[in-house]
Amino acid sequence: MRSGSESLLIGEGLSYAYLERFPALEKVSLEVSRGERLALLGANGCGKSTLLKILAGLIFPDHGSYRAFGEEVSAERLEDEQFSAAFRTRVGFVFQNTDAQVFSPTVREEIAFGPLQLGLAPAEIEGRVAEVTQMLEIGDLIERAPYQLSAGQKKRVAIASVLVMSPELLLFDEPTAGLDPRSRGWLLELIDELGRAGKTIVFATHELAELEWIADRCLVLSEDHRPLAEGAPAELLADRELLLRANLIHEHAHRHGAVLHSHPHERGHHGRAG
Amino acid sequence: MTDGASTPGWLLAGAEDAPPLLCSGKRRRGGAIEKTVGGLARLIREALVSEEIAARRGLLQRLDARVKLIGMLGLLIATGLVRHIPVLLGLYALTLVLAAASRIGLGWFAKRVWFFIPLFSGVIVAPAMFSFITPGEVVLPLGHWFGHEVGLTRQGLTSAALIVCRVASSISLVLLLTLTTSWSRLLASLRTLFVPRLLVLVLGMAYRYLFVLLDSVTEMVTARRARTVAAKRSRRGERAIASFSGGALFGKAHALSEEVHQAMLARGFSGELRMSEWPRIRAIDVISVLTCLALAILVVGGDRALGL
Amino acid sequence: MHIPDGYLSPATCAVAGAVMVPVIGVACAKTKEVVKDRHAPLLALGAAYSFLVMMFNVPIPGGTTAHAVGAVLIAVLLGPWAAVVCVSVALVIQALFFGDGGVLALGANTFNMALVMPFVGYGVYLLLTRNTSLTSRRRAIAAGLGGYVGLNVAALCAATELGLQPVLFHSANGTPLYAPYHLSTTIPAMALAHLTVAGFSEFVLTAGIVAYLQRANLPLLRINHSGIVDTDAELAPQSGRPALRWALIGIATMIVLSPLGLLAPGGAYGEDSPTDLNLHKYGLHAIPSGLQHYNGFWKHTLLGDYGFSSGRHANIGYVLSAIVGALAVGAVIFFFVGGVRLAMRRRPEAQADAA
Repeated sequence: MRSGSESLLIGEGLSYAYLERFPALEKVSLEVSRGERLALLGANGCGKSTLLKILAGLIFPDHGSYRAFGEEVSAERLEDEQFSAAFRTRVGFVFQNTDAQVFSPTVREEIAFGPLQLGLAPAEIEGRVAEVTQMLEIGDLIERAPYQLSAGQKKRVAIASVLVMSPELLLFDEPTAGLDPRSRGWLLELIDELGRAGKTIVFATHELAELEWIADRCLVLSEDHRPLAEGAPAELLADRELLLRANLIHEHAHRHGAVLHSHPHERGHHGRAG
Repeated sequence: MTDGASTPGWLLAGAEDAPPLLCSGKRRRGGAIEKTVGGLARLIREALVSEEIAARRGLLQRLDARVKLIGMLGLLIATGLVRHIPVLLGLYALTLVLAAASRIGLGWFAKRVWFFIPLFSGVIVAPAMFSFITPGEVVLPLGHWFGHEVGLTRQGLTSAALIVCRVASSISLVLLLTLTTSWSRLLASLRTLFVPRLLVLVLGMAYRYLFVLLDSVTEMVTARRARTVAAKRSRRGERAIASFSGGALFGKAHALSEEVHQAMLARGFSGELRMSEWPRIRAIDVISVLTCLALAILVVGGDRALGL
Repeated sequence: MHIPDGYLSPATCAVAGAVMVPVIGVACAKTKEVVKDRHAPLLALGAAYSFLVMMFNVPIPGGTTAHAVGAVLIAVLLGPWAAVVCVSVALVIQALFFGDGGVLALGANTFNMALVMPFVGYGVYLLLTRNTSLTSRRRAIAAGLGGYVGLNVAALCAATELGLQPVLFHSANGTPLYAPYHLSTTIPAMALAHLTVAGFSEFVLTAGIVAYLQRANLPLLRINHSGIVDTDAELAPQSGRPALRWALIGIATMIVLSPLGLLAPGGAYGEDSPTDLNLHKYGLHAIPSGLQHYNGFWKHTLLGDYGFSSGRHANIGYVLSAIVGALAVGAVIFFFVGGVRLAMRRRPEAQADAA
């Protein structure tokens, strides 16, 4: 699909239903090339998180196949110790719910958890923890307990705990949700920087304003969990009809230059607006 | 789409129908829910105070957590074995000295020990001073009952004093450990006492998520309270609220546990937990442990020398 | 029921600890089998949940509140072995961090509340729910009764541990070295407090939460109930009724007989002095169960406030407390037997509807 570049992830006809009853993903196919930054776009509950979890090898599709780094990924293969360790090293997942991700008693233990499980040497772990905390400016939080951190600080810790394993592929589930504008700006810059450094990035969002900054390509999912459209951010953002169909914008939304935003209209105006 | 879902008229109306915003003089009694929230708030406050004290620069804060844990257990057992009130008082004095050396305010420390539990223990053991619970030599007769002399007995008084002193010393010892050690260090030190790694992991996570669930409960209760309009609340209603919140909380806890599991998997957890190495034992740590244990043996030995 | 340090001799603590260490080891292994590698977060969240359940104040008649232990609730939701780990962990955190219950006494406290209570309660629950669907009303009541019985058996264990102290450990002149009360006083005291107030709150919370989950979140109940059909309509008609009725009768008998425990030990140990037979004991001894000091509920209970310090005044109080206590126990029995009968009456109707 992408000319010339090597495909890192290939998912074909991925379907998933929770409790075998409630569909979350219906026949979604995608391809991500090395170094690409792909945005998964869709309204709440359209299956973005489910797709990310399949890409991270945390849940497995009921139908369809998933290959990553040229290898098939399945529950059975991930039970193999070597395959599992190799796959987990390469894939980093930043959860939307930082409380779920930051589960250790202190920040230091949290960041060291991944490298420890992968069997790195203690000295190496110590060095990495020091460097990654310095990079993310959380060095002074290192002995704190998670409940003493703000939402923004917790997000940084969660990201540090993923980056410390130096994954090739980074998955972010609604990375900026619930963050204040300063943390949000910082995080977008970080994602941009990681992309430049050659990391492959897939993230789920419904924040249209951030798209052009950090995504090369978008995959839009519909509310019935199917793929709706695919393309460059600028193209998709110009397609008002599509965004309305995906329930990504309110009908009062419009663009000023490159920025898409919406503001409340007085009641009674919709006849004309729509 | 907005055209279809029109806002009902009553939602747009002003507050004319609402009751006047005046005080009627009737007060609401603090119910079970308020008490629950109060208890939860206390938990957080205590946790924060403990972390603050653990970060001070004092004697016990400087010792290795393992040392403190073993030392505390040794002295705790000694406290359990001691049978003379003066020895117990000596042990209690020792905890006060240690508290002072660890920059814990003595007044605050003593208040915490004596106010919360032993006072309760005191009430509990008070009846034991009387002859009908603890028969023996009546030192303060209070009257006669079916021909028997009733009053405070020497045995009863000694027993009550023994219990109160022992409880106070025991609680002081445990408090000294927990106040001067951050929770994560305490947790890690448990591993050295042959507590299985899985259990240590569960303990750490339980403590961690206690605060997350606490937030949920406080939110649920506050939301519920914000919507409570009626002046009179039924007990049945409160019970129903307790079951709803309890049920909803279990749902949250379970969903969170699934996600935590995925977060662990994503970072390479494969069922076999690996934990970081503990720093080396220093000479001072060995000396401290030996001092504590020697002290414990000395205390029990001295106590036995005083007679059984 | 949280016994602090100082009430039990180190020997008692050592015995209880020696029992609990292998039990917790087995419990970890068992839960590992059931929930595979996701056991750690599940147990951790279960423990945090159990901790919070102990913080829930449940309103009880008379304007006061009590808190439940929740061990049977966890056993119903996650299985009894998971309950052993969850409640133990919650108790460890309480002892180490919040000074609730002793550290040396952890063995005894976990034995009572994390081993005896979930297994006894879960056993009752299983007996009462044979051949019922997941949404059956009887399930919620059975869980509540399991909580009630479990809590009371746990309280009996605590009372026994405390009551043995003066018999086993006293000095040459008869001074009790640890908890001073004999079995003749600890058992009635604990029985009175737990058959009424604490047992009631345990029943309300356990039954209430199970009933709520039946309506609002059935998948959560399925965690520990695989292979059980959802509604009564799907139940295969079986001839298991006599066994069930037998179990119900057993429970009812137990409930009816338990207050007799109030009187029996008084007589059995009464030879020491005639005053031992006096009912005042039961009033006095409601206090040890107050080791659950959070609520301070007995400050308000009918029994805690009379002046036991003055010999003459106390007599009236003793008699009064005995009457009130007996009435309260009677009311509770009436309530539970009624509830059980109601549940039994509904069953044939439901089956008739299904057929």
